[in-house]
Parts: sequence; C-alpha cells; structure tokens
Amino acid sequence: MTTWRGARLREALRLYVITDRALARGRADIEIAREAIAGGATALQLRWKAGPLSEALQVGHALRALCREAGVLFVVNDRVDLALALGADGVHVGVSDLPVPETRKLVGESMVVGFSPETLEQALAAEAAGADYLGVGPVYPTTTKPDAGPAVGLEHLAQIAGAVGIPVVGIGGITAANAAAVIRAVAVGVAVISAVVGAEDVREAARQLREVVDAALAERGQ
Amino acid sequence: MRVPRLHLVTDPEVCPFDRLLALLPALVAAGVDGVHLRAPDRAAAELLVVAQVARRVVVPPAVLLVNDRIDVAVLSEADGVQLPERGLPPEGARRLLGRGRLIGCSVHSVTAAERAAQAGFLLFGNVFETASKPGRAAAGLKALRAVTRAVPCPVIAIGGITPERVPEVVATGAHGVAVIRGILAAPDPVDAVHAFRAALDRVGAV
Repeated sequence: MTTWRGARLREALRLYVITDRALARGRADIEIAREAIAGGATALQLRWKAGPLSEALQVGHALRALCREAGVLFVVNDRVDLALALGADGVHVGVSDLPVPETRKLVGESMVVGFSPETLEQALAAEAAGADYLGVGPVYPTTTKPDAGPAVGLEHLAQIAGAVGIPVVGIGGITAANAAAVIRAVAVGVAVISAVVGAEDVREAARQLREVVDAALAERGQ
Repeated sequence: MRVPRLHLVTDPEVCPFDRLLALLPALVAAGVDGVHLRAPDRAAAELLVVAQVARRVVVPPAVLLVNDRIDVAVLSEADGVQLPERGLPPEGARRLLGRGRLIGCSVHSVTAAERAAQAGFLLFGNVFETASKPGRAAAGLKALRAVTRAVPCPVIAIGGITPERVPEVVATGAHGVAVIRGILAAPDPVDAVHAFRAALDRVGAV
C-alpha cells in the first residue's frame, strides 16, 4: 500500500478536481474524471450530495480503479463509511461533517484526511488532530457551493497556509486566470469544480490549470 | 442480537432532536426496544452528537440503530445500522461495522427483500397510507405477507401502523412494527408506546 505523505502528498494536491454531477452537462463522472486526469489532474474527489449511496458505490469503484491506475489521489467527501468501503486514498471533511479526530479514528493512519476550516483556529486544531491537508476557501466568489459563504480571499488563505505545517490547497472560484495568485499565497495546489467539471473541453481546462499551477510553483522552486 | 419488536424511527421534522432526546428515556422505559436515528438531511457532525446522547439513554434490552451512516454508527457505539434500500449492501456494512452488530435493511418489494435477506431484519413498508410518505400508495397486508414468506429473517412492518392494526400486521408473520408519527406525533407519546407495547404483547411473540 502506497502512502500519500510528505512530498508525494504535496505533488498530488497540485490540481485537485472535485466531481459534481449537476455541473457535468450530463456527462458521466467517470468520463469527466478520465478527461481531467488526461489533462493533468493529480487528485480526484468524489462528492456525492444527492442520490442513492448504492449508485455512489458503483461510480466510486470505477473512479477508484481509474485513479489507482493513473497514480492519482482518490478522495471521498464527507462519507467516511463510503471512503472505507471503496478503499479510497483519502477522505475530506468540513466543519459540519464528522470531526477530524473521529474521522482519523475511523480510517486509521494510512488514509489521508483532508479538512476545510472556516477559521484559523479550526485549521490549527485540525492539524493538531491529525489532518493531512487543508482546503481553504472560497478564495474567490463561487456559485458551486451555495453554502460556502462569502469569498474569504487570498489573505485568509495566506494566513492559514503560513500558520500550519500541513499543505494547503485553495478552493472556490479558481480558474486558469487566477490560479497563480493562489499558489503565490503559498498554496501547494488548487481545488476546482466548475472550472474543470463544467468545461466544454474538460481535458483542455485541466491542462491549462495544471500549466498555470506548475509555472507558479516553479517560481517558488517547487 | 435480538431483533426489536417495537421500533421508533425518528424524524426531526416531526420531533426536533432536543425534544426527542428529552423523551427517549421515557419511551424506552415504556417499551420501545429499537430506536432508529434517522435524519437524512442532517450533517454528520450533528447526527453524531445526537447519536452519542441517544446512546446513553437507549440501554439494553433496547437497541440503538443509526440510519444509513455506518461511520456515525461506529463512532457512537450504536448497536447497528438501518440501511436504505439503495444504500450500502448489508455485507459491505458488516465489514465496516464488525461482528455482533444488528443490520436492518429497508425494502419496498419482495425482490428487494430477497436481495437483502442477509440482513438481520428487514423493514418493509409503507404497509398503510402514512403522512410520512405523502402520495405513496399503501403496499398493503398482502404484500407484507409475501415478504415475510419470502425471507428467513424477521420482518418489521412500517407505515401507518396503529395499535389497533397490530394484530392483523403480526398475523402476516411480521416480527414487529416500526412507528414514527404514531408515537412522536401522538398527544402523549408515552401513552402511545404503552398502547403499541400492549398490542404486541397480546398477540405474543412470533
């Protein structure tokens, strides 16, 4: 079993694509995932907000296999039981999901645990409780998650990224046009939904984002 | 693990969590022996807190089951889970839960019942018309009987069940009943539990 820690985890967080069926223009999750990975996605998160879990399990098995073959980090959002059932590489929780310590207790040491803090205090507590990375945002205004609240901006991202020792990815409203600023705020990568999943050409959208992220990271010598 | 005969299924729309948690000790004392924590629209953090409080008051011989979320069930040390018809399959749930836990499956047809027959028990409904499933036709007692005959595991009937209907429900071979509004929306929920319990005890064990 491979472990996603240290440099390997940071590499895997460069371009983190989150599935969203509502934005996929009728295309299947697996199709989106295949194209996104071909374009350079390094992590893929299954986000299942509606519909039967039996279907999430089916889709998840296909994504699990695809990511394993491609060497892409496969993460499940919110449902720790689904993450375990699928043998995911990681699970991602937010402030209203299962708390980080409980999540860690369920998944053991080998699975990556990601967390979306809303405050610096939550970020520090999550790190202390064993979170492996943080998703901070929304960096820019977003319509994908109506519950995500107002944009917190680059400063908030920079503040958290500067305070914790674990890698931080920016999320929310990120496109190829503004991704470089996110990386310069000391994020290790960007997480996107609509910019890739909702793109007409998913592969090309991923490729452009990856190019911007790689260039901005290279400026930092990474 | 013994399969309960009088299941209370919670619904925060019918009875908010704080009221439910205040009521639970009396409902368990009055004869509810299975409590299903069900709140599909609630986030896991809230569900976990409620499950942990419920765990302290739902004591043997009563069992606590968490609907759908196996992660919350494990963390709250619940006695088991209740899986939706299109949830994780029972064998997958068993692997995550470990041994000695009760797994119930909700089913709405004989076909689904046969597919889920590895579960510890099945919840079949809605047997009668119910305000919990507005606009959904009652499956009826005949369908309930077909399910109890099709599977070896105990079948619990749900949907519009009243104490008066318990004898005809149990006569189909059902092991017990599950109730939401019949208890939680009753003028006196404890009285309602007594009435269900008395009705079940009268018809005896199956």
